[in-house]
Amino acid sequence: MASQGMQRAAREVKPILSLDRDEARKRVLNLYKAWYRQIPYLVRQYDIPRTVEQCKTKLREEFTKYEEIKDVRLVDMMVIKGQMELKEVVNNWKQKGHIMTYFKDTVEPKPKDFLSKFLQGKD
Amino acid sequence: MSVLRRLIPVAARSTTLLNSLKKNAPRAFATEVTETPKETRPSFRKINQSSVDQLKDFGRYVAECLPKYIQKVQIAAGDELELLIVPEGVLPVLQFLKDHHSCQFSNLVDIAGMDVPSRTNRFEVIYNILSLRFNARIRVKTYTDELTPLESCNDIYKAANWYEREIWDMYGVFFSNHPDLRRILTDYGFEGHPFRKDFPLSGYVEVRYDDEKKRVVVEPLELAQEFRRFELSAPWEQFPNFRNAKPKETEEVKTEKSKK
Repeated sequence: MASQGMQRAAREVKPILSLDRDEARKRVLNLYKAWYRQIPYLVRQYDIPRTVEQCKTKLREEFTKYEEIKDVRLVDMMVIKGQMELKEVVNNWKQKGHIMTYFKDTVEPKPKDFLSKFLQGKD
Repeated sequence: MSVLRRLIPVAARSTTLLNSLKKNAPRAFATEVTETPKETRPSFRKINQSSVDQLKDFGRYVAECLPKYIQKVQIAAGDELELLIVPEGVLPVLQFLKDHHSCQFSNLVDIAGMDVPSRTNRFEVIYNILSLRFNARIRVKTYTDELTPLESCNDIYKAANWYEREIWDMYGVFFSNHPDLRRILTDYGFEGHPFRKDFPLSGYVEVRYDDEKKRVVVEPLELAQEFRRFELSAPWEQFPNFRNAKPKETEEVKTEKSKK
């Protein structure tokens, strides 16, 4: 069993961008900074009912949501996707609705206890 | 380029493999009739055995030229040549097929993707290329998984730009060194890759216009169980004649490598 585990750990994979975890971490921080610096412009550019502060909290939330992910390649892939989204914001390809999707302000929280589940009438 | 230079002695031996395909095709077709049982049903596509043989020869020749990259050569659907290559070999193989004098596959017709979740490398990426010079089409197949990047062949075929974006968008296969890799079919902010087999048919979210907010809102989709059963087969049988018809077997072409 142990030897199997060793083999799996030693499997060679092709890196996406970063070679080790430090490099991946740097990329994440860079992406975070880029988004952070874009936020004032974003708020001015898009007519959204949110302040800069609220957006920054949201940004932090979006990043810390994935803090358990340690796999370098997975981190890289998410950084790539985040970078693409930032580009969509900067170039004004996204619209107001797309930006507000991050805030999920129309999504009703799922009922947790029995009574509210019953009142909602879904299974 | 160094790949090509190394090949010159081999290439000198058979420079006009596909050329012979072009010239001999009509003559060979006339003699072929007596040998194999003739397909008489008018709605069936007839397969020209001699051109298939020449395709096989060509496949064998390419496999001989690029033994490092080509894993398998096969004939699919009766007369379509497929080269199965390792992911590292995308660029050298395509460059070879494009620039070699007896290949000249200068057109990239399409790049297709395929998802088979049960495999270790679940995605197959299929390049359909066309040689106008020799009137021949072949298929180059390679494989990858969710996190392994493939080399972008944009430098070889300019047409690959949008096709690779499409594969990225639909399957999430990352192409390194692509000049402009971003979504092409899905909406901004769309999450997930819709052609993956584990992507639900109804998607994860629904989008509607909210009159109160005066904008489009995106909400997670919840379907009750009885609405989630999709009956996709038609109630009548479209092709009763082909009820038990199997697709043509893919036939492996024996190469130097596979003999060992």
